[in-house]
Amino acid sequence: MSSGSYEQNPIKAFASEVWGSVFRHGLPTTDKVAARTALTNFFLHIHPVRVKKSAIRVSYTLCLGGLSFFLFIALTISGLFLMFYYIPSVGQAYQSIKDIQYVATFGLVMRNIHRWAAHAMVITVWLHMARVFYQGAYKPPRQFNWVIGTALLLITLLLSFTGYLLPWDQLAVWAITVGTNLGKYGPIVGPVSRYIMLGGRNVGQSALTRFYVLHVIALPLIGFVLMVIHFWRVRKDGFTGGL
Amino acid sequence: MSVNPYETKENKLHWLAEVTRRQFIAIIGTLVSLGALLFGGFESLKFLFPNSTSDPPLRFIVPIDPTSVTVDNPYMDYQHRVGIIRDDGGFYCVQLVCTHLGCTPNYYSNCVTNTPVLPATAESHGERTPAERIPNGWICPCHGSRYFIDSTNFYGPAPRPMDWVNIEFTPDKKQFIVDRSNIVVYRNPGQVTPPLWRIDPTTGVWNGKVL
Repeated sequence: MSSGSYEQNPIKAFASEVWGSVFRHGLPTTDKVAARTALTNFFLHIHPVRVKKSAIRVSYTLCLGGLSFFLFIALTISGLFLMFYYIPSVGQAYQSIKDIQYVATFGLVMRNIHRWAAHAMVITVWLHMARVFYQGAYKPPRQFNWVIGTALLLITLLLSFTGYLLPWDQLAVWAITVGTNLGKYGPIVGPVSRYIMLGGRNVGQSALTRFYVLHVIALPLIGFVLMVIHFWRVRKDGFTGGL
Repeated sequence: MSVNPYETKENKLHWLAEVTRRQFIAIIGTLVSLGALLFGGFESLKFLFPNSTSDPPLRFIVPIDPTSVTVDNPYMDYQHRVGIIRDDGGFYCVQLVCTHLGCTPNYYSNCVTNTPVLPATAESHGERTPAERIPNGWICPCHGSRYFIDSTNFYGPAPRPMDWVNIEFTPDKKQFIVDRSNIVVYRNPGQVTPPLWRIDPTTGVWNGKVL
């Protein structure tokens, strides 16, 4: 962005201004520019300006948190695609899933991405928690982030649970029957929780509606907000890596 | 806060008299906000509890002729989750809710295959004539619990027999009325004796026996 071209070529100047308004810095050729780029760019500011080489050793964190987030993004996008065809009604849910698999272009792939990413996310989130636990990464000053992490684990499991009902096949209906009946044995709020989850006494249309709303709106939204706080605190607490 | 000009050493005013106008509005504002928050939160929670459900009713008519339910041909209503059984004593109605985790067990004319149930045990539950050596009953699709035709559990994780619910004839004696909200036979774990509760196959009158 040299001011010399500004008077010479108005089109070039306009393009340069547009570019400059989006990308406030040029290529990070020096440390100073690199630092400023990281600080002023929305997507880059999640990373620290400077990281110790020892802290980014893959074998230290095994990237499990990052993998979980990547899978969450993959699930959000593939889930959005599935929502274009899926109908949350007891009469049409199963048929719409069949439509996704056999009628929609690459629908089978899309559904399988969603399905396998969901399985994988449960695994990576559990492993992430185990990694944090075994390395003592829950200790001060990270206690609160551990609590947020357990909430995120719970949300992951609830997303998995609610998503299980949506195909509305035999497996889904009986799994949710069994799952909600297990919840009934909880103290005090147990029986109430089943009624409020199913919106009735049996797994029926109201249960499907409720699980659908939880699965596509409520839980991902709560999860996203918690993730933002989670990542923010990871950044602020710093990396201890390579102890 | 300034010293109240009406206050003397002997005559102390109530502490509320010391509250300034701003403080008063702040206190009232806080209380009203808290009240609104509590009320709103409570009502929002209540919204999630359905005031009516689309569940099938617990008391309903089973529109079949009682004479069509025979010893060899029990009637299963999986929608309403009941089974109507006829034996030598009369009719009884089993609520098809597995006592393990609440799935609906399916009826099988042979429910003992691949189980270590002893012939003597099988014989005491549901076998009606010596010619019929294989007892009928229910198998739960979820975790494989099995029940004899008198609803006694004998295999799998089910902890106790399924409940029997009230059954009666309609006044014209052409149909059944089943009331799932009225459990007539409730058996605890280990209580495996076949109950004697029946309604008369022709008059539909309860025989007066509880277990």
